[in-house]
Amino acid sequence: MKKKFEVIWIVLMVLSIFAFLLGYLKLVSSSLVSVLLVSTFLKGQLVIDYFMGLNEVKLKYRIIPTLWLSIVLFLVAAAYYVPVGK
Amino acid sequence: MPKVLEIKEPYPPGDFAIWIVIYIELLTFGLFFIGYAFSRRLNVQMFNDSQLFLDKTAGFIDTLILITSSYFIVKAIQSIKNSNRSDISISSIVASKWLLATMIFGGIFLINKLLEFSDIFSQGFSLSSNMFFMFYFLLTMFHFMHVLLGIIIIFTIRQKVKILGYGPTDYVGMETGAVYWHLVDLLWIVLFALIYILR
Repeated sequence: MKKKFEVIWIVLMVLSIFAFLLGYLKLVSSSLVSVLLVSTFLKGQLVIDYFMGLNEVKLKYRIIPTLWLSIVLFLVAAAYYVPVGK
Repeated sequence: MPKVLEIKEPYPPGDFAIWIVIYIELLTFGLFFIGYAFSRRLNVQMFNDSQLFLDKTAGFIDTLILITSSYFIVKAIQSIKNSNRSDISISSIVASKWLLATMIFGGIFLINKLLEFSDIFSQGFSLSSNMFFMFYFLLTMFHFMHVLLGIIIIFTIRQKVKILGYGPTDYVGMETGAVYWHLVDLLWIVLFALIYILR
C-alpha cells in the first residue's frame, strides 16, 4: 500500500479521539472499560507493527512487545473487573 | 493464483542493543501500570476524585503530538531508505526536515507537560498528596525524561543526516533512534488511557 503510514497515522488519531471523547463526556462505565482497553491495544499494536516495523521481522521479536501489551492490558482489566475481596 | 512467499527479516530494525533497552523499559513501565491499576482497587473513590483534577484535553493533545511525531520520524527514515546514491543529498535534506519536525513536536509535548505540572502543583498537589498523584507524577515525570532523551537522540541523528552520514544501505543508526521514539509513543498510549481516561 502506497500510503500505508498515512493510513496508520489517521487510524491512530481516530482511536485517540474516540478514547478522549469517552473520557471527556464521562462515558467510561464498567462496560466501556473493556472497549477502551481494546482500542488501546489496537493503537499499541499498530505502533509495534508498523511504526516500529516489527510486522516485517520474525515472530519471536514481534511477539515480545505484543505479549507485554496484552499482559499489561489484561491485568489492568482484571484490576477493574474482579471484585475486591472482603 | 500463486502464493507470494513473504520473507521476514531475521532481526528487528535498529541496533540490537536498543531492543534490550526497550524490553527493560517495557518491563519497568508495565510494573508501574499494573501497580497503579491494583493500587486503585484499594481506594477507587479517591483515585476517581483525584483524576478529575487532571486536564484530559492536555493529555489528549499530548497523545496527538506524540503519535504525529512518530509518523514524522517514520517519514524521515523512508526518505533515506528509498533514496538512491545519486539523490542522497536531497533525501538527506528531506529527512532532516522530518527530524526537525519530530523534535519540535517533542518540544511542544515537553512544554505542554510542564504547563500541566505547573497547573497541578498550583492546585496544591504533589508526589506525596495521595497514591493517585504519586503514580501520576512518577509515571508522567519518568516518561517526560524519556521524551527529553529521545529529543537529544534525534538531534544527534539529525546532525549526522545533515553531513550525509546515512544512505539507502546504511540507516541502522536512524532506525535505532526511531524505535526508541516509538517506544516513548507506545508507553504514552497506555499511560494516557490508564491515568487520564479509565475510571
